[in-house]
Amino acid sequence: MVLSTTVSQRKHIKRKAPRGFLKRVFKRQKPHLRLETSGDLLMHLNCLLFVHRLAEESRTNACENKCGIIKKEHVLAAAKVILKKSRGMMKAKQK
Amino acid sequence: MGGAGGFWVPGPEGKGLQAKISDEGSSLHPLLPPPCIIQSCWSLHRAQRALLETPSSRRLSSQTKTTARRRSQRIRSIGKLAHVQASGYLEEQTPRTLLKNILLTAPESSIVMPKSVVKPGPAPQVVQPSSRESSRGSLELQLPELEPPTTLAPGLLAPGRRKQRLRLSVFQEGMDKGLPLSQESRGNADASSLTSSLNLTFATPLQPQSVQRPGLARRPPTRRAVDVGAFLQDLRDTSLALAPPGESLTAPVATLPTDTVLEDTQPFSQPLVGRSPSVHHSLPCPSHSGAEDAERAVSHRTRSTGPRLQNNSPGKPAQLLAGKAEVDALAMNFPNTSSSIFGEVGVEPLQDGVGGEAEERTEKSLSMSKVKEAARARGSARAQEPEGHTQVTEAEGSQGAIETKEPEGSSGDCPTSSRRVSPELASSTPEFLQAKRIQGLEPAPPPSTAVLPSEPLEPLSARLPPRARTPGPKACQNPYKTGLSHYAKLFSFYAKMPMEKKALEMVEKCLDKYFQHLCDDLEMFAAHAGRKTVRPEDLELLMRRQGLVTDQVSLHVLVERHLPLEYRQLLIPCAFSGNSVFPAQ
Repeated sequence: MVLSTTVSQRKHIKRKAPRGFLKRVFKRQKPHLRLETSGDLLMHLNCLLFVHRLAEESRTNACENKCGIIKKEHVLAAAKVILKKSRGMMKAKQK
Repeated sequence: MGGAGGFWVPGPEGKGLQAKISDEGSSLHPLLPPPCIIQSCWSLHRAQRALLETPSSRRLSSQTKTTARRRSQRIRSIGKLAHVQASGYLEEQTPRTLLKNILLTAPESSIVMPKSVVKPGPAPQVVQPSSRESSRGSLELQLPELEPPTTLAPGLLAPGRRKQRLRLSVFQEGMDKGLPLSQESRGNADASSLTSSLNLTFATPLQPQSVQRPGLARRPPTRRAVDVGAFLQDLRDTSLALAPPGESLTAPVATLPTDTVLEDTQPFSQPLVGRSPSVHHSLPCPSHSGAEDAERAVSHRTRSTGPRLQNNSPGKPAQLLAGKAEVDALAMNFPNTSSSIFGEVGVEPLQDGVGGEAEERTEKSLSMSKVKEAARARGSARAQEPEGHTQVTEAEGSQGAIETKEPEGSSGDCPTSSRRVSPELASSTPEFLQAKRIQGLEPAPPPSTAVLPSEPLEPLSARLPPRARTPGPKACQNPYKTGLSHYAKLFSFYAKMPMEKKALEMVEKCLDKYFQHLCDDLEMFAAHAGRKTVRPEDLELLMRRQGLVTDQVSLHVLVERHLPLEYRQLLIPCAFSGNSVFPAQ
């Protein structure tokens, strides 16, 4: 499998998808459902994109506050926005 | 006319061939060379087969010597053009050709006993006719090529391929032989002396090669033995220093046979067979490669034994046994750090490994449960995973250390040594005794094999405990947290800015919430489609809802952007040869 692919950051993590972890999480949440093989890869992709958006938003917040470090508040604010974006549509449609 | 073409005619048509040959003189057929060239270009054996077919046809028709000689002359004349390789073996005798011959004719002293012949399908056939014609002077030059592969190849092709070191030593021996015999080689033409002459012919070209290119002369691997000896001495010293109380547990006799078996696989440990230092000699050699594997395997197995310790389930005996053996290897390094939990770990793998002793096992299980509780109480402060790891390693390690140090100890020492060791343990003395005794009286293979790779891992011992502890706690205590932290690290990477620790924890909380939402959405989508299985289509719909997938940006684009190639291949259907698509739609 592909491990660390870039050398930009020293502590860049491997690109491997924690497929077992994802499967376990899904099973814990919805034991009556089943997840297909490729499903967990797409789940991982979804998580990656979520984290990516979250990071971008947090960085934007930190830069707005002219901070060199990302702080808890920045993350919190970013999470609110992104979570709403990620799942808001479903609930909004239902309403 | 057809004589030359007849070389390629197989047996059944030999009669026609014979007629043609008898009619014809030694003239070359203009059309002959191309097939000859093609055939010979493939390999030496093919050339031999060409030679073979004529003798076989000759056999069928039972021709006289003259016909064969004529054919052989024809062969040679053809060979000059086509069989460059074949003739070149004797005429040019480059190092490459010589080495190739040596590869084909590795000495019988190979370790692997040849049972099946891989290559010489045509070779054996060549032997008979070639031997018959061996006396013919016309074929002398070419026969040496055929004979060595045919006579020696059956036994040696397979080992010749496997052992690089063997070839070099053979090469060297050939060179050494060639030095005194170089003068006699050319003259011999008899069939009886062909083999010897073959060796000589091999040797002869080797000598000038070695003279011209001294770099080809390889040093014999004797130096290695010395280094190994020094290494083992250091090991033994360190092991002695590390395990003052350690006494031999298992019978050395039991270890010796396995040691010798293992030693045989190591060429440079051959001269040391049968001596106690040799036991140690062999240990580091195979174990070097096995050490890393054992480490990895142990890390895997100890992780599995960690939860198993908690669950107190029988688990998989085979795995545990193997794991125990490997753990023995690693654990050798922790002889002095035996703790009360020592017995527990030693008991557990033993329990799983020994199939027959039910009574003892029940006793052990009872004691084990007690020990486990005690161990848990004691080990609550420390992480379970590294504890289990070190326990296992320590348990097996002390045993391994003991075994390796005194291979000549008798089985009678086992109970005494176990008794000596057990008082050191804080708790569960009787159970530990039982465990030790059982292990000591067991047939040696598991502990001996464990012992064998254990020694060289001593130098790694210092590194192992700290290495084991770092990834241990998180992985075992909270696998969910581990997964979250994986994504948190990705977050910090994407952010490209320094972050607070609290911010990371916040990220993990958000991820938790996100996973919940994700599962809910997927459930809804699957229910909407009347399914109970979540399919990739549901995932795609989710991403579309989230605004990640649009009409401009398709799912495949996202997959290509963010996922590594291996996952891409699994997700995006791609057409392959044979009109097949993977993954199937």
